[in-house]
Amino acid sequence: MKILALHPDKCTGCLRCELACSYMQTGSYQPSKSVIRVSPLEGYTSYAPYTCTQCMEGWCMTACPVGAIRITAAGAKDVMDDTCVGCKLCTIACPYGTMFYDADTQKAYKCNLCGGAPACADACPTQAITFEDVESADWIGDFAAERTAYVLRRDGARAGVA
Amino acid sequence: MARHLIIGGGTAGLNCIRTIREEEAEPSEVTLVSAERPYSRMVLPYYLGRSIAESHVFTATPASLAAWKVKSLLGRRVTRLDPGSHAATLDDGATVEFDDCLIATGSRAAKPPVPGVDGPGVHCFWTLDEARAVVAGVTPGSRVVMVGAGFIAFTILNAILSRGASLTIVEVAPRILPRMVDAECASIVERWLTARGVVLRTGATLTAIEEARGKRRLSFRSGSPLLADVVIMATGIRTNLEWLEGSGIETSTEPGGGIVVDDRLRSSAKSVYAAGDVARGRNLLTGALEVHAIEPTAQEHGRVVGANMAGRDVAYRGSLVMNIVEVAHLDVASFGQWEDPAAEVYTALRPERSQYRKLLFHGGRLTGAVICGPASDIWTTNDVGMLKGLVSSGVDLAGWKAHLERNPFDVKPAFLATRTVSQLLPETVLGRPSHSPQLPQSVVMK
Repeated sequence: MKILALHPDKCTGCLRCELACSYMQTGSYQPSKSVIRVSPLEGYTSYAPYTCTQCMEGWCMTACPVGAIRITAAGAKDVMDDTCVGCKLCTIACPYGTMFYDADTQKAYKCNLCGGAPACADACPTQAITFEDVESADWIGDFAAERTAYVLRRDGARAGVA
Repeated sequence: MARHLIIGGGTAGLNCIRTIREEEAEPSEVTLVSAERPYSRMVLPYYLGRSIAESHVFTATPASLAAWKVKSLLGRRVTRLDPGSHAATLDDGATVEFDDCLIATGSRAAKPPVPGVDGPGVHCFWTLDEARAVVAGVTPGSRVVMVGAGFIAFTILNAILSRGASLTIVEVAPRILPRMVDAECASIVERWLTARGVVLRTGATLTAIEEARGKRRLSFRSGSPLLADVVIMATGIRTNLEWLEGSGIETSTEPGGGIVVDDRLRSSAKSVYAAGDVARGRNLLTGALEVHAIEPTAQEHGRVVGANMAGRDVAYRGSLVMNIVEVAHLDVASFGQWEDPAAEVYTALRPERSQYRKLLFHGGRLTGAVICGPASDIWTTNDVGMLKGLVSSGVDLAGWKAHLERNPFDVKPAFLATRTVSQLLPETVLGRPSHSPQLPQSVVMK
C-alpha cells in the first residue's frame, strides 16, 4: 500500500503541506486544522513534518465505540462523519498523537491519505513528503534525535552539568 | 462445531464475537445472552444532548447479529453457571451448553444508602433505560442536581448544559474528580466550570431526598438544602457478579473485586474467560491485578478473549488506565499511575490559560500523566496521544528529563527524538494488523 514517506532533512518549514492539507480536509486554508504538522526542532532552524503512520493496530479504529473509523479503499483509517459522535476516545487511544478533533463540527478527524492522492505530498516543493509504496517507518526519529541534541546540551549547561 | 457462549452484549462481548469471526479457521456456534440489546454506553451522553438519535446508540441489531451468525438471546440473563458441566442456566429456565464461555456482564450504577434515592425524579445515568428517563426529565429551564463529581458525572455535564438546564454538582469528597486527576488539576476545572455557571458544592454529604411539591429536596449533613426538578446519582458503579455465586469461579476480595484472570483472560475455570469491568486483569505498567472499568480495557480484553476462543494463543500485555473528558470545552485527561507518591513528579501550570501538565517518572520511564487545557488548543489533543505513547511504550526518557522538568508542555520533541514511533509501530494487541470494524468476509462467504 502507498503511504506518506517523510524526509525531514528536505523540509524547509514552508508549511505549504499544512495549507494544502487543511484545504483538502476542511475546505478552507486553515493550517490549524491540518492533520500533517511541521514541527520546529533545534531552536527553530530544523523542521520536520509529522502525520499518521496508518499503523497496523489502528488504535483509533479499534477504540472507537461506534465503529466510526474504517479502512478505506486507499488503505487509510478514516473517520465516518455520520457515525462519529465526537467522544474523543480515539484521541486518547492513538499513541502517536495524530488524531484531531474539530471543535466546529464536533467530530474527530485524521489523515485519510486524501483518498489516495495526498495533497501534502503534492504541495511539498522539496519532496520532503512523498507518497510511496513502502513500509511505515519512524521517519523523524533519527533526525529529531540529532537536531535536538543541542537543546539537551543547553539544558544540561544551564543546570550546571557539562 | 465449537460452541462459544458470550454473556453480556457490551463492548467486551461484541469485540469478542467480532474477533472470533475474524480469527476462526472453522465455523463455530456463537450464542449471546444479553439482558439488553447491545448499545454503546460511551455515546449515551450524546443521546442525552440530542446530538444523536436514540437509534445511533445501538452497536448491534437483531439483523446484524444474524448476519454474524450469532444466536442471540436478548432480554435474558444467566442465573447460574456450572463450569464443570459446561452449562449455563437462564432466567427463563433454559440451559445453554458451551465449550468455552465469556463473562462480560459489566457494571451497574451504585447508589449510596440514603433515604429517597429510589424515589421519583431521581435517576442514575448508566443504562439506556436510565438515559431515556433522564432525557425525558431534563428540559430547558429545569434544575438538575447531580450527586457525584467523578468521571461519569462529567461525561454528561455538556449534555445537561446544552439542554438549557441549570446544573449543581454536589460531591462528598473535598474536591471534584477525586479518582481521575490531582487536586491542582481539579481546581482548574472547578474555576472553569464555575465561570460557566455550574454550581459546585464539594465536601457535601447527602442525607436525604424528599418530595416537595413536585420537586426533589436534597438535604445535607451541613449547609442548606437544594431543590431540584431532576436528581442524577453519579455515585459510582458496582460489578455485576452476584449471579456467579456458587459457580466456583474465583473472585477477588481485594478492593474493586472482580474475577481473577490470567494473561489469556482465563478465570480459575479453564473454559471460562472474563473481560471488561468484571475482570481483574494485569495492569500494563505495574503488572498488578486490577479492575479497570474503562472502555479501552473492555475492548482489548474482548478481542484477546475472542482470539483465544478461536484457537489462537494470544497473551495480553495488560491495560493502561486512561480517562478523557471534555467539560464545557476544557479537555481533562489522565494516564497510568498519575497518583504515585514514589514517583518523581514534574508539574507546570498556566492558570491564565487553564493549562496544566503533570508528568510522573520512575527513572527514565514515564509512568503517569495528567493533562488539562482548552479543547480549542490543538496541542492539548496531540499531546494527549503522545503521552499515551510514551507511557505505554516505556521508552527511556532519561536524556529528556531535565528538559521536561523545565517545560512539561514540550512533549513532542521528546516523543520524536526518543524514537517512540519506532517502538510503537510493531505493537498490536492481537499480533496482526487490525481489521476494519465491518463484517469480515469469511462470515459473508460461509
